[in-house]
Amino acid sequence: MATRTTQKVAEASLVPPPVAGIASLIFPGLGQVLARQLQRGFVLIGSTIMIIGLFVWRVNLLAARETGFMDTLGKAIGRRPLFVIPTLVGIVALWLWAAWDAYQQAQARRRGGIGVFALVVLLFFALGWQVSEINLYKFVTELSDAKDPLSRVVWPWKAAVTRDIETTSAGADILTPCDDQPPPSPPEETPGQPYVVADPTCGDLSVQEARDNELITVPGTLLTLVGRGFAPNTETQIWWVDPVSNQFRIRQEGEYVSLVTDDQGAFEIEINIPYMLIPPSAEGRVVHHVEARQVSEIGSLKPSEVLLRNIEKMIETIVLGMMATLFGIVFSIPVSFLAARNLMSGSPATMAVYYVTRTILNIIRSIEPMIWAILAVTVVGLGPFAGVIALFVHSIAALGKLYSEAIESIDPGPIEAIQATGATRLQTIMYAVVPQMIPPFVSFSIYRWDINVRMSTIIGLVGGGGIGFLLVQYIRLLDYRSAGIAVWFIAITVATLDYVSSEIRQRFV
Amino acid sequence: MLDVKNLTKVYDDGTVALRDVSFQLEDGEFLIIIGLSGSGKSTLLRCINRLIDPTEGQIMWDGVDIAAAEPAQLREIRRQIGMIFQHFNLVKRSNVLTNVLAGRLGYVNPWTSLLHRFPAEDMEMAMQALEQVGITEQARKRADELSGGQQQRVGIARALMQEPRMILADEPVASLDPVLAHTILGYLEQLNQERDISILCSLHYLDLVQRYATRVVGLRDGRIVYRGSRADIRAMTDEEFKDIYGQEAVRVSVGRTEGKEA
Repeated sequence: MATRTTQKVAEASLVPPPVAGIASLIFPGLGQVLARQLQRGFVLIGSTIMIIGLFVWRVNLLAARETGFMDTLGKAIGRRPLFVIPTLVGIVALWLWAAWDAYQQAQARRRGGIGVFALVVLLFFALGWQVSEINLYKFVTELSDAKDPLSRVVWPWKAAVTRDIETTSAGADILTPCDDQPPPSPPEETPGQPYVVADPTCGDLSVQEARDNELITVPGTLLTLVGRGFAPNTETQIWWVDPVSNQFRIRQEGEYVSLVTDDQGAFEIEINIPYMLIPPSAEGRVVHHVEARQVSEIGSLKPSEVLLRNIEKMIETIVLGMMATLFGIVFSIPVSFLAARNLMSGSPATMAVYYVTRTILNIIRSIEPMIWAILAVTVVGLGPFAGVIALFVHSIAALGKLYSEAIESIDPGPIEAIQATGATRLQTIMYAVVPQMIPPFVSFSIYRWDINVRMSTIIGLVGGGGIGFLLVQYIRLLDYRSAGIAVWFIAITVATLDYVSSEIRQRFV
Repeated sequence: MLDVKNLTKVYDDGTVALRDVSFQLEDGEFLIIIGLSGSGKSTLLRCINRLIDPTEGQIMWDGVDIAAAEPAQLREIRRQIGMIFQHFNLVKRSNVLTNVLAGRLGYVNPWTSLLHRFPAEDMEMAMQALEQVGITEQARKRADELSGGQQQRVGIARALMQEPRMILADEPVASLDPVLAHTILGYLEQLNQERDISILCSLHYLDLVQRYATRVVGLRDGRIVYRGSRADIRAMTDEEFKDIYGQEAVRVSVGRTEGKEA
């Protein structure tokens, strides 16, 4: 019978198996270390420390106001039993399993299972779930909240077009309060023209009074408005215009007053004089104006202001990305020569330049364009120029690295062949180096342009200009339709660019 | 005449590639250097036109020491010495004609050549060179569209543009089919005989050495271990061959008449 020979014949354990087991019972991993399974032991020790640390942190967060150990644990179990209890059981299981594993490891013929590590991974997963506050129940039950904004974002075109509007209005003057002089007289009736008659034409405003700690609204005088000569069967709004020309739509019981004219274009409605504060400076008689308005759309569809502004900002975005790329290319070419190992390996001095350049490029590249944009905004203020600076800085670093790698990977064969013909150094560069560098340079530059336009769509989120600037404003105003237009524009532009850039690169390389 | 005296090359990492190598190449000779990979053949050829700077020794060419030449003088010398390579070393993305014209760079105005402009005579000369190696119709193709044998012919055409008095050939057939090896070496032999161009060529296959060499130098570990005349090499046995190459060497036959292309 074939014997299994997979066990390592490594150095024997320092201690007998039971001692190793007990050591791991004191702390998981100790026994494995004593059994000379250093890697296994230290991974277990490190994992256990992290698991306990995370667990203590989360339990303390769950019971922030408790002090004693049992109180804290009890409160935490009460709040999240499904997390605390299984994790606690898991940690105890880890302890026991580690002890058993140490016992196995310390035996002459080792059997290495990875079950204990599966448990470690499982515990990390449970803790990670808590730390990142994953809540599937909330996600599922509140998913419907996203329906409304999402549907507007997905199909925003209603906001993209508009028509000119025409307002037909007629109104009557109302005096508050009534005085001993005659109230305003109704307007002259002209046949075919809309007019409104109010009855009475003077009265008291609604007032708010505090009674028994409650704010009570005492309704103002009831007015009967009769309108004639409006467009028939059309929605009509009632507006109030105060003496200083503030105007607002009249509400009754919280809803806007809205009515529809009859077949003859007439209506009759009763409203209370609304509540408003009259500035103390108002002197003499206070005459208001109540108005019936019909708003109708006329003319053909035309692009809305939102659409035009989105187009404008989209162009700004693309140009912003292009300018940043252009500047980036121009500046990164010389930098890339300094960062190419094969060109700089000549002497210790040039190698020092190489290392310094590489380090600076790596640092710049590891800072996201968004952060560069925030910094640039502090220098040049909000707007596309800040975005150009941010993307330019990041492009130099990214292109500098890519270009220098392209230089490093050129084939030295043609260089020596051209040198062997008696060519000068400049001729050698033109005939052997440049032809090899053009394809990767073009490819990387277009790729970078692609990335920069993509980045410039979101650089506006932090004030770097472009369409992102508009998008974040619309989202904050909860104007999801307009935001949707911006999202669509970004998606279309990025997809188009992606296609175009990959086409160009394929042609070139 | 080329006179190499006590040439030694030690690389920066301490590798000694050539130790005290001395030999002469008379005008019109077809001298073949044999030896294992790593025996110093490539280093020797590259020292002669200073693609690699030798550490010690002299390389006399018409009474001038190439090893000590100033840059301008070196370019003057280099253009008299054509070179072809194992991996052809063409600029793959440039077309065949540009690659061939590059051989003229040592002669033309260095500034106008940067704009890829060449005199009409040079264009004509390039077409003649391509005709000589039989690939005129490929002139406008990109170099990497050609087969290996065709690329090496472009390499020869490029060397011809230098109007060379000597051609250095670094394993010119090592990356080609055995059948093509004779075509390429045939061109070199033709140039050697008809235009009196000296050839200094490194080769692996004994068959080819016996067929083409007028003289042979054997290198091992950077030292010359064998010098043989045309007669010597024709009479060379496998035992002697193994002395140069080491005991593991096995003679590989390169078919010429066996009709292996069928």
